[in-house]
Amino acid sequence: MNMMRIAITGGKGGTGKSTIATSLAAELAKNNRVLLFDADADCPNDHIILAAKMKRAETVTQMIPEWDTRKCTKCGKCSDVCKLNAIVQIKDSYPIFVPDQCNGCGACTIACPTGAIGKSSKDIGYVHEGSNAGVDIISGELIPNQMLSEFVVSAAKRLANKRRHKYDCIITDTAAGTHCDVISALMGNDLAIAVTEPTPLGAHDLELIMKLLKVLRIPSRIVLNRSDLGDPRLIERISRKYSSEIIARVPYSRSVLENYSNGIPIENEEIKRLAKWVEKKSGGAE
Amino acid sequence: MKKITIVSGKGGVGKSMLASSLAVLMARGGKIVAVDCDVDAPNLGLSLGLKDADYDAWKEITTNEKAELIEGKCIGCKKCVKVCAFDAIQWENKKNKPLIDRMFCEGCGACLLVCPANALRLKEVKNAKIGTGKTRYGFPMISGQLSMGESGSGKIVFVAKKRAEEMAVKEKAEIMLIDAAAGIGCPVIASITGSDFVVAVTEPTPSAFSDLDRVLKVVEHFRIPYGLVINKHDLNKGFTEKVESFAAKKHIPVLGKIPYNRKFVDATVKMTPIVEYDSGFEGIFAGIAERITAFMT
Repeated sequence: MNMMRIAITGGKGGTGKSTIATSLAAELAKNNRVLLFDADADCPNDHIILAAKMKRAETVTQMIPEWDTRKCTKCGKCSDVCKLNAIVQIKDSYPIFVPDQCNGCGACTIACPTGAIGKSSKDIGYVHEGSNAGVDIISGELIPNQMLSEFVVSAAKRLANKRRHKYDCIITDTAAGTHCDVISALMGNDLAIAVTEPTPLGAHDLELIMKLLKVLRIPSRIVLNRSDLGDPRLIERISRKYSSEIIARVPYSRSVLENYSNGIPIENEEIKRLAKWVEKKSGGAE
Repeated sequence: MKKITIVSGKGGVGKSMLASSLAVLMARGGKIVAVDCDVDAPNLGLSLGLKDADYDAWKEITTNEKAELIEGKCIGCKKCVKVCAFDAIQWENKKNKPLIDRMFCEGCGACLLVCPANALRLKEVKNAKIGTGKTRYGFPMISGQLSMGESGSGKIVFVAKKRAEEMAVKEKAEIMLIDAAAGIGCPVIASITGSDFVVAVTEPTPSAFSDLDRVLKVVEHFRIPYGLVINKHDLNKGFTEKVESFAAKKHIPVLGKIPYNRKFVDATVKMTPIVEYDSGFEGIFAGIAERITAFMT
């Protein structure tokens, strides 16, 4: 198997991205060395589904400014250049810093004419490593109330990249949506599998992710989850429009849901077929 | 006017489903405005049966700026590449000039400040559009939509909420119902900010429970009162009990429990709120609405 990078995405939340990612990883791990990269730093769940014990590999930080009041002349230039209103300057007083608003751009440190602003840092998240069911997992976790989840995703991705030589396949499980975290998680993948459901909501968000994948020039396929609940024509229409084949249809099953709610990854014929398809795909060129 | 925000952490646990039915019920008793603050993947309009024709003209908005090179002025010092905290500027050796990746540029302006030749400028970008839809249930809904490959969801949420506030004043609305995005990041923080009450939706699964705990840390940070709705509670009774005892221990009110039923999927496909699709479910949602109102007065 040539090293293959597959992203599991979909736009809408709760369509089964993590369920498909974990079960596909577990199935592929029977014959291959698999790394599962959980790129949903807001709400990482893959390690919960796979019941993996995780340990902290890295603490992710961002730069924050630090004022030396002996050098500060209260000129207000730092506050003027800050686009996020993280620095409040009241006339004739030292600037007041709001760390929650700061994205660490460093503009204030450059703008300061007296060199009164130095660089400090704050913790914004963690990168975790662990493994279970034959699957190695790397995940990013944002500390609640921090903003820069893309930094956490990038740090976790760097670690995944560093380890890539050990694996036949890296599966990236993205967050819901189409924002910067999802974009950083998608970049560099050979293929994206969009997991969706046959509802107008699933179709609407699938179309958004299809548009994004086109911009990013990543080939895509569709997995239709809960395929028997709703109207599959909604998804078939988008599949045709974006020439993205529906490669698996996973029917709804109460036992799947119950297993899932007990934290057991699903195992069924359609996932096995999907894993075979991936193995075959990585043998040849896309 | 009171602002109620619906969050969940985990996606797909039923935020828009709950928001659409609560909106319909609350609109029967007074004037409301609904806002879809999931600007990445807005679904509230679809849940309320809004079609494209039901929206007034979508307006493009600008909440972001991006750095741009002024051709012919670069002296090749590469200071901009070094200063960019977001790795958005690469050096193009062949052309001997910086290449700015618009997808990662945050528009902070650090590169402009450091450039000795004034070869860079910030340019406003239209990164989203905002529209107002008239629902068939008599209340307006504001929706934001992030443009493809753009960033700044948090700021777009603020604009959408501001637009909804103006609408609420015009309509003399008593309630603004805000449907937030999945996750706990900037768009969710922007949705929660300034709310009078937060409804956290969850389902009895380990993933949803972990995500609930994370989003509640954000809600608690802002010291906003909140309550819990457990969706699909009958799928795992044991886990539902676990969620309930967690709630009891933390003195979080459980506003209601919604059963699993295929009719919820049918209603979604028909783009109809469940309380309109099958009035048999009205009681559950009316109870949730009543409890929310009671907490706010």
